[in-house]
Amino acid sequence: MANYKILGRDPYWMNFYGLMILTAIEVGAVGADMSSTAEALNMSEDGITLWILTIIAIPKFFMIAAIFMHLYGDPDSGILTMTALFPAFFIIIMILFIGLTHPDAATGLPAWCRPGTWGL
Amino acid sequence: MSIGIGLFLFVFAGMFDYDLELSEHVYTGEGLIWMFVAIIITSIGMFVFWRQDLSFDGTYEPLATGSPFRNIQIRKVGMFVFLMSEMMVFTSLFSTYMRYRLGLRRCDDVFADGLFDPVTNPTGWQEAVPVTCFEPASHLIASSWWHLAPGAVNTFALIISSFTIVQALRYAKKTDIDEELRRRRVTMFLGTTWVLAILFLTLKMVEWFVGFYIPDLGFIHEHEIKSLVAEGYTIGADHYQHHSYVDEATGAHMTANIRVSASTFYVTTGTHGAHVAGGIIGLTYMTYKAWRGGYTPTNAVSIEYFGLYWHFVDLVWVIVFPFFYLY
Repeated sequence: MANYKILGRDPYWMNFYGLMILTAIEVGAVGADMSSTAEALNMSEDGITLWILTIIAIPKFFMIAAIFMHLYGDPDSGILTMTALFPAFFIIIMILFIGLTHPDAATGLPAWCRPGTWGL
Repeated sequence: MSIGIGLFLFVFAGMFDYDLELSEHVYTGEGLIWMFVAIIITSIGMFVFWRQDLSFDGTYEPLATGSPFRNIQIRKVGMFVFLMSEMMVFTSLFSTYMRYRLGLRRCDDVFADGLFDPVTNPTGWQEAVPVTCFEPASHLIASSWWHLAPGAVNTFALIISSFTIVQALRYAKKTDIDEELRRRRVTMFLGTTWVLAILFLTLKMVEWFVGFYIPDLGFIHEHEIKSLVAEGYTIGADHYQHHSYVDEATGAHMTANIRVSASTFYVTTGTHGAHVAGGIIGLTYMTYKAWRGGYTPTNAVSIEYFGLYWHFVDLVWVIVFPFFYLY
């Protein structure tokens, strides 16, 4: 269990409050009218929502992993965090090379990059 | 248990066939007997595992002896390795979603192009000619607070359940309270987690299949919230019509083939839901064990390991909820 405090209080309760507040902001951001902000920033309203949701999801992710899953503050946190980060490399590969490519990317490759060109 | 679960998944997949004429999956019932065999094998495995666990008093928890995990519980490391393999599963689903989301045009953008006209708008959509485009579920779900309610309540339910499982572990490890109080508190927190998990799946069913009705309460107007399936948002939808895809001047409807977007939504959120369902099975047993007073300060590792799994399920939802439900 955690042997530290957050702002002098129990870390689990503080983490719980934080997650509830961030989730409420997340849900509120979807319902809020941000057309004027979008216009001022020269972005689409969807784009602003995406940014807000991403910015909120990142700390939520770390708060759960670090405090609830004890990847911070325990004697074995360091090595377990390294274990947890091990697939990060593969995740980056998958997101970059699968998630961010076009569905028709394979058919759009240059001729030298297609099967058959090198006798394969 | 692994053999049973593997057999179940293998047989389950074979029980459906794709009918080219109907353009949908049909139930064939092939291998039904093997499905029961798989369920029996899994149940026996769980029964034996739980029977052994009930008498486990925590006096021997194997620790790793080699570097780099020296003196760390082997089962805890194993749990993290398992969770990372799970992370890969969800990453592959998420990258699939990103690929199609970024690669296909959004249906509302296609609709905004306007009705086809050979002279003035040759690139527009035509009535009764389905357009293959990406229709995010959020277009329906985030269209009103009532549509969003089940998903939003579920998000809070999962966060609260993550907190209650930590509290169960805390009380199980407390040495300065008497045994009876510990037993009651641990049972209460595990039971609460169980109830919240059931609530999560119930709301998921409401959102997907059932829908709900809000009567006129004076300060709240009458509403009928249709389920996603009732709205036509299904994995086989090749003539999907969102109620807003109507050309005001002519009354023509734009129809869309949304199989890709609906599939990514249902497969990802369904896989997450299956993990919650698996958690409910584990929680049922753990709540029973807690009620029998099975968790003590020296024997609380099961709650800790299950907690890691449960937090992971919450962690996945942190990503799934904004990107599949809100955006």
